[in-house]
This record gives sequence, C-alpha cells and structure tokens, in this order.
Amino acid sequence: MRRSTGPTGHETVYAWLMSAPALIGLFIFVALPLFGGVYWSLTNKRLISPLPTEYIGLQNYWNLLGLQIIKLQPEIDEATGAAQVDLEGNPIYPRTRTIVRGNPAYSGFREWFTTDVFGGRYVVIARDPTFLRSLINTCVFVLVIVPGQGGLALIMALLVNQRLRGRYVFRTIYFSPVVTSMAVLAIVWTFLYNPDQGLINRFLSAITFGRFQPDWLVSADSALLAIIILSAWQAAGFQMVIFLAGLQGIPQSLYEAAQIDGGNTWQQFRHVTIPQLRNTTIFVIISTTILAFRLFTQVDVMTKGGPQDATVTVVFHAVDTGFRQQKIGYGSAVTVLFFIIVVTIALIQRALLKSDIEVE
Amino acid sequence: MNRLLKHLTLLLILLLLFTTAALTPAQDAVELELWYHGGTQEENDETRAQVDRFNAMQDAIQVNFVELAGSLVAGTGYNDAVNAAAVAGDLPCILDLDGPNLYNYAWAGFLAPMDDYMSDELRADILPSLIDQGTYNGKIYAMGQYDSGLALVGRVSLLEEAGVRIPSNIDDAWDLDEFNGVLASLQALEGVQYAIDLKMNYGAGEWYTYAFSPVVQGFGGDLIDTETLSAEAVLNGPEAVAAMEWIRSLFENGYATLTPPDDNEFINGNAAMGFLGHWMATGYYEAFGDDMIVLPVVNFGARQATGMGSWAWSITTQCDHPDEAWTFMEFMLTPEEILSITNVNAAVPGRLSALAMSELFGEGGRMNIFVQQLESGIAIPRPITPGYPAVTSAFFTAMDNIIKGGDIQMELDAAVDKIAQDVADNNGYPLQN
Amino acid sequence: MSASPAKTSDRREQRVKSPRPVRRTITLAIDYGIMIALALFFLFPIVFMIVSSFKPEKLMFDDLKTILWAFIPRDVTLENYSSVFRRVPFGRFMFNSTFIVLATVSAGMLVNSMIAFALARLRWRGKTLILSAIIALSIVPLDAIVVPLLVLVNGFPWLDGTIGWLDTLHVQIIPFIADAFSIFLFYQFFIGIPRDFDEAAYIDGASPVSVYRRIIVPLSRPVFATVAILQALFLWSSYLWPLMATRGEDSRPLTVGITSFYGQDVKWAQIMAFASMITIPVLILFLLFQKWFVQSVAASGLKGA
Repeated sequence: MRRSTGPTGHETVYAWLMSAPALIGLFIFVALPLFGGVYWSLTNKRLISPLPTEYIGLQNYWNLLGLQIIKLQPEIDEATGAAQVDLEGNPIYPRTRTIVRGNPAYSGFREWFTTDVFGGRYVVIARDPTFLRSLINTCVFVLVIVPGQGGLALIMALLVNQRLRGRYVFRTIYFSPVVTSMAVLAIVWTFLYNPDQGLINRFLSAITFGRFQPDWLVSADSALLAIIILSAWQAAGFQMVIFLAGLQGIPQSLYEAAQIDGGNTWQQFRHVTIPQLRNTTIFVIISTTILAFRLFTQVDVMTKGGPQDATVTVVFHAVDTGFRQQKIGYGSAVTVLFFIIVVTIALIQRALLKSDIEVE
Repeated sequence: MNRLLKHLTLLLILLLLFTTAALTPAQDAVELELWYHGGTQEENDETRAQVDRFNAMQDAIQVNFVELAGSLVAGTGYNDAVNAAAVAGDLPCILDLDGPNLYNYAWAGFLAPMDDYMSDELRADILPSLIDQGTYNGKIYAMGQYDSGLALVGRVSLLEEAGVRIPSNIDDAWDLDEFNGVLASLQALEGVQYAIDLKMNYGAGEWYTYAFSPVVQGFGGDLIDTETLSAEAVLNGPEAVAAMEWIRSLFENGYATLTPPDDNEFINGNAAMGFLGHWMATGYYEAFGDDMIVLPVVNFGARQATGMGSWAWSITTQCDHPDEAWTFMEFMLTPEEILSITNVNAAVPGRLSALAMSELFGEGGRMNIFVQQLESGIAIPRPITPGYPAVTSAFFTAMDNIIKGGDIQMELDAAVDKIAQDVADNNGYPLQN
Repeated sequence: MSASPAKTSDRREQRVKSPRPVRRTITLAIDYGIMIALALFFLFPIVFMIVSSFKPEKLMFDDLKTILWAFIPRDVTLENYSSVFRRVPFGRFMFNSTFIVLATVSAGMLVNSMIAFALARLRWRGKTLILSAIIALSIVPLDAIVVPLLVLVNGFPWLDGTIGWLDTLHVQIIPFIADAFSIFLFYQFFIGIPRDFDEAAYIDGASPVSVYRRIIVPLSRPVFATVAILQALFLWSSYLWPLMATRGEDSRPLTVGITSFYGQDVKWAQIMAFASMITIPVLILFLLFQKWFVQSVAASGLKGA
C-alpha cells in the first residue's frame, strides 16, 4: 500500500542521510576489498615480493578450473604387440606423470584421480586439484549440514517447546555451544577426537566393545564427517531458538481447531506445525546455507585442509593460497569464484523457495 | 560555589599535569619493538628477562617485547602475523624468524644486512652453522643466540632391559637394520605402549620438514637441488620413496602413533624413546635424571643426517633505528646472555666461547651429541632459497598425506610439481640487487 | 524455572495433552530420554573442558582413561588459572573483547537500523538496487577478504594524525559496524510494521527521523535484541582478522590471546582454563537472559513471518 500524503521531496534527502553511515561502511569495508580482490584476481600479485605485479587476464581462473581427462593405453609388449599384463592378468599402465610431463598441452596439470570405467583406465588431471576438491567438499558440507543440522534443531525445538519441567535448562544446554568461540571449541574437539586417547573413541569403544573406532581427523575417510559433527553440534542450538520462535508464533487456536476435528498429535504436526513453520524453515535454510559455505575456522584449526585434501574448503583454499602461500592474485580469484557461486546458489534458492522475504 | 569551582579547576589542572608527567618517559629513549614467537614457557620467561635486563642496564634504548601467537600446534599463527605485517609495512624493528623463513623475507627486501655491524672477532666466534643459516646472497640477515639439535633420546634402563647396544657418539650410531631391531625390542617390553614418540602432536607443519627431511636425506633423497631449485628426482626419486615407506611403516607397525595427545609421551612412559628437538631435553632430564640419554641420529645408509637451524633475530628495513637495534642484538649475543637462554632451553650455544663455558654441551656434557652433530657436518641446513615457504609446505603436506594413507609416489610427485610451480610463479626467484 | 502457566511466555507453548495417563507417562519418559541424551551430547565437551581446567595436567590425562573420571573433579586446583594469569594479561584481553563487542554492537544498532528504516519505509529512488546490493554483500565471508581489507585500513588516517589502523581497538570495531546481514534482519522486521502508524505521524508533520525514533524503534525492541545478540556472538568469536590486524597485547582479544598457549610446549590444562574463562561468563549471561532472548527472537522477523 502506497502512502498518498506525507513528505516526498525531502524524503529522498532523509533516506540518503539515514542510509549514509551504513552505505559508507559497507562500501569501504566490504565492497572495496571485494573490488580490490576482483582487480587482483586479474594479476599475478604476490603478497610480499620484489617482483613487479603483472596483468595476466583470466589466467588465474584457467589455473583454478583447468581440467582434462586422459584415457590411458596399456603398455605394449614390443615383442608380441599385445598389452602387457601383471601377474594377476591386469594390464599395466604407464605412469600418469610420464604422460603429463611428456605432452606440452598438459603443462601445469597434475593427477587428480584415476578411475577404471567402461573397460578402460581414465586419469583426471587438473591444474589445481585442491581447488576442485574444495568445491566438492564445500558442497558436501552444505548438503549434509543444512538438512542435518536443521532437522536436529527442529527436533530439539519441538522437545523444549513442550511445557515440561526443566525445559529452560535444556534450552540453555542446547544453546551453550553457540556462545562459545569456534576457535576455542575446535581445539577442545581436536583433543576429544584423538583416536587413542580421545573421549569420543573411549566412549564408542565402551558401547561397541571396541569394534567402532574411527580415526576421525587422522583419516581422509572420516575427517570431513568429524568437521560436520562439530559444526552441527556448535550451531544447532541457534537454529533451535529460531524454530522455537517460529513454534511459539503459531496461534494456539489452530491446534484447538485441529483437536476439535479429531486430529491426533501427528496430524496436528503434519497439518498445522509444518505449514506454519514454512517461513521459519526458509529462513533457517537460507541463513544456514550462506554460513555453511563460509566454513573456515574449524578446518584451519583442526586439519589445515588435510589429510589428502579431505577437508579443504573454498574459503580455506582462498586464505591458504592467497595469504599463506602469498599468491594473493590467485587467492583473490578463488574468492571471486566463490562469491559468484554462492550468489548464484542463493538466487536459485530464493527463486525455488519463493519466500516472502523478497525485495519489495 | 565559586570557590568550589575554582578548587575543582585547580585540581583538574594538577591531575592533568601529573598524568602528562607520568606518561612522558624520563628521557627520550629510543623505542624499539621486538616480536617473539612464543617458544616454550621457560624460554619465553627467559627471553623476557633478557629484554628486561637490557632495558634496565641503559637509558637510551627501550625494547618493547611483544609475544605473538603460537607457532607449532595449530599451525601458523606467528607466520600469519608476520606476513600480515610485512604486507602492511608494519614490521617491528627486531623480528624473530625461524631460520629458513628468513630467505624469503630477505629476498623481498624486508630485512637489513648485519655485516657492517659485526666485528671480525664476533664473526669468528659465532657457530659456523649459524653464520650459514643467516646468510643469503652473501650477506648476513639474521643471527640466533643458539642453534638447534635434533636427536634421539632414550632411557638407559629401558635400553638395557631390551638388550640393545647403546651408541655413545655419532660414529657408532645405529644403522637402519639395527635401529629397526631396537624398535622391535623396545616395543616388546612390558609397560611400553609404543617404541618411539615422533612428536606428531605438532601437526603438519615445520616440524615435519625439520625432523623428517633429514630422514629423506639419510636414505639418499633430498628436498630440492639448491642449484636448480628443482625437486625433480630428489624428492620423488626411489630413495625418497623408500624413506617415506620406512616412516610410514613405523606407524603401521605400531612403533609410533600419529596422535600423541601432548608433549609428554616419553615422560609419562607411554613411549620408550623420543625423536625430538633440544627444546624438550631439559624437561626430560628433569623427569629421568641420569637415566635419560641423548643418542645420535640413525645412519640410514646413504648418509648420516639430522636437522639444524633455529629461531634467530633479524633487523627489518622498516626499522627507524637500526643502530640501536644492533646494540640490543650485541647484548643478546654476549656469551653470558647466550648461556642464560641455552641453560633454559638446552639449545646449542651460538658462540664458540659460550660453548666452551657450557657444562651441558662441552666435552662429556650430556647434550654434547648435539654439538658433535653440528660440528661433524651431519646436521644439514634446510634449503637456502627464497622459495623455502613453498618447499616446506609441499613437503609437510605430502608427508602428512602419506602417513595418513596417501599414495607415496603420487604425493611426492605432487610436492615436486608444487615446488616447480612456485619457482615458475616467481620467475625463478631472480637475485635482487 | 518452574513451569507456571501464569507466565506470559508459556501461554503460547504447545500443551502436552493426552487423554490417557499411562500413555502420557510413556510419552513423557521418551521425551525426557531424548532430551537428556541430547543434553549429554551438547554438554560433554564443555563439562569436560571445565572439569579439566581444575585438574593438574597429568591427572587430566590419567582420567581420560576412564570415561567417568574425565567428568568428575578431583584434586581440584586453581593452578591452571593462576598460570594463565601469570602468563598473559587475561584481564586486558577480556576488556578488549568486551569493549570491541559493546562498541561495535551499539554503533551497529543505530547505523544498521537507520538504513533499514530508509529502505523499508521511505520512498526514494535507488532503494531496490541498494537492497539487492546489501543482500549480495551479506554473502561475502570476511575470511576471504581479509587481505585487501588489511591493505586498505593500513592506509587510513586516524584522529591523532597517524596513518594506519593496525594494532588498535578501532580496527576491530569500525569495519564491522555496518553489517549487511543485520540490515537485512532489520529490514525484514520494519517492512512488517503496519503503515498506519507512520501515516498518522506524517500527517501531524513529523519528519522521517522522528518517525524512526518515536514509532519504529519503540515497536522494534525484539529485533534490536536479536540483531545485537547475533552480531555480538560473531564478534566475540572472530579470529583471523584480529590475528592479522593486531600485534601487541594492548589490543589483542581473547580468541587470539589463547593462541599464546599453543606454543612449543602445550599445556592442555591451561588451555582448558583459558577456554573456560572465555565460555563461562557468556553461558551465565545466556542462562540469565535466555527466556527474554527466545521471546525476542520469537517476536522479531527472524521467524520469517
């Protein structure tokens, strides 16, 4: 509804005046560094180097995204002309590195992984396998944490929303990790995850009689899972509060109406709670997605992206290449790509969810 | 009312004068900022005390001690802070750097050479390994109070119980086969959880390069060829692969653990031996007394090799008072101050005259093995190249992946490629000036 | 903490209603079972941390061998705490962290709510574009732009004439006052307030500023509380930026202060003591205010309604 009366001419002046402090702040401290990053990403700028910075166009982006697939040919026995086989009858393949280094078209590429499909052996080579792995890891993290943590938070919210004795205590307990700094928690959890001496494995050992003893952060198979568990543990309490707020916003009359219609608890949940929580859920999904994409601190403190890139994330890779390895031009390109990807995903998400949080 | 106001004003003026007087130093002392990496608690306390002594003994220079974040566990806090400061042009006057990192800073022009300040007597008295470590492109950019030592430690009682030969000097160090036997015998002892503590609690970082690149060298490999700056064939050749296979076998056989919770695995008896730097030796001696013994590093076949190099002080080009900074350095390099720190951290004293005075390190001293290793040339400096940060990061990442199950050849190849990429990115690190 | 039905906050809470008492008891038992299991999961690292901080280092490791003892205080000692105070100026770190959070949040409340007001309730050209830009900027992770930001603030002048903001408290405050996400939350709430309120005021000749001050702000207490808490939590845990932008102990916050303990000889029990001292005050604050907090979030735009 549009206002028909009221000041219009100087409304614009007021609007700009009231917006100015925040706009200036955002421009200087977020937009400018971001633009700076975009500019740097087109150069070979080094953090500390006596060499002059050169404009290199999109080279950093090609270096990030460069990917090729090679089909390996088995080694041929020169005497017989047949493929060489090992003792078990499997064909013997040449070393990938020999092929990559022997062909100038593959210069700058490294082996990412090898796979046997369609009766042949294929090698996937990339210019920066770590970056591609970081994209995959980040997506896996987001895809697991958004439903996992959100679901856990909803269950907790439903539990502590009941008029049960001690519900405030439980709320506080579930929320307590949220108020603790991740840089500190990550250190404590590193200790808990210790495969031999950590509390977690001691506990698992006690309840499974020693059969289930993951190596957690030490193994490439479980390291990302370990990071996911810690992250969900730390942040679920926050989403719980948001869900709790959503639950308390549902008019009691809707439940009463459902009861009069003879709906049982499940039906009430299905037909009242779920639809009424729609906006809350959308908010939780959107905000968790954005926060999950930023995953950095836990990884930096606990694993530094390892082992074997199992926990490397896009933001970690940006900080690691741009700052620690001092290739700020390259690291900036990671940041820019990251920004483009997340904005795209956020737009798709908003379109799909058709929330009413849209721009007026 | 008026009188009250007057009194109040007077009081205020007086107060202001007092505060100004209190805040202004008695004399115009030159203030120098110094950054320190943290070290062990004892080291830290002693370094602070040294700075305090310097400030107390003269009025012209005031050194402000700043301790920055930890360096080993949880990785790279100190290096992060130094890099950030270098970018911002905000480096302190006096900077504490871990040996091999200084070449990158020197190449980039952040460090000032010290040659003109150093007298010939001083130069002649400094431990040669420290001069080597501090020199880049013919000039000295850093000077440490001490050098490091990397060796094995054991307990005489346990070694005797296991019935193994105890080497007494570097010439009769264990060879590979004998050492494998020692580990097996120790592992079999009652009450020993595992044979050797490799300090893996430090995590993937400089410790891996410092401690395990000598193992690669012992097997005949190397980090890089310092002439060509390339790691091809040295870091991914069959010798390096064999070294990595052996290192990994220690974990696979249960002789060592990837995840010691802290630094005390040797002290609390979980591990029968330790492979460690000098900085742990004092605490271990306090725990076991004369039962603790420092043993020379293993001769892996191709050569005997061990780590060296340590934290050292540099003067930055962003320092407005380099002369005063050197005055402080001179104080830190007096034999008395060197001994005061090495008596605490059990590092090898950085001056020959100090070494001669040291009970710990002199002939027959219980840390003498460290000196033998340095003097006989089996201690090998980490590569002197501005590309060192990339070299070490490639190596420790590869090693971390390998011991956690990665393919050895593929990981070492990747490390070689990363090092080559870094050299290419920097146009081959051309010498400046 | 009793469940008195008279309390306002309880009015809207879902009633556990069941006609048959036996079934009700079973449901209750299951609910409590799950809640207690979850509580143990959420609590054990923190309890372990606090309990360990009162133990001698060696005992802490010995007690790890039996799960139970890890959570039971014995040989209680304050030695770890006194070591922390001996080794670092903990009070100074605490002051810095608290000051940074309070200063940023209070300035942020004003700055972010004003622009949100302009975007949500004033008519002017360009606001759609600005709103889109702000939503886009809320995605930028701080960790990814720290280096350009560092270079930037290093060239800025300060009131006393010096150039460069590094190693100060304000370098940890000013860049974070304007916050895109906070603006978005304010905007969402303001847009939901019925227009009739300000219409009346405008007819009476009020200026937009007085509408903001007299009408919108008083109606929006919950969203102010929510945004304040969110921003405070973010600032309280920030790590990479203060690590890069501060040097000395004078401006160092708690999260960077604790890294002094990750040095060459890690004293875990001291780390636990330091970590406990960071955690406990905030936990107590939350315990005191949690009812009010949940209500604020409930009443704010966070639920997306």
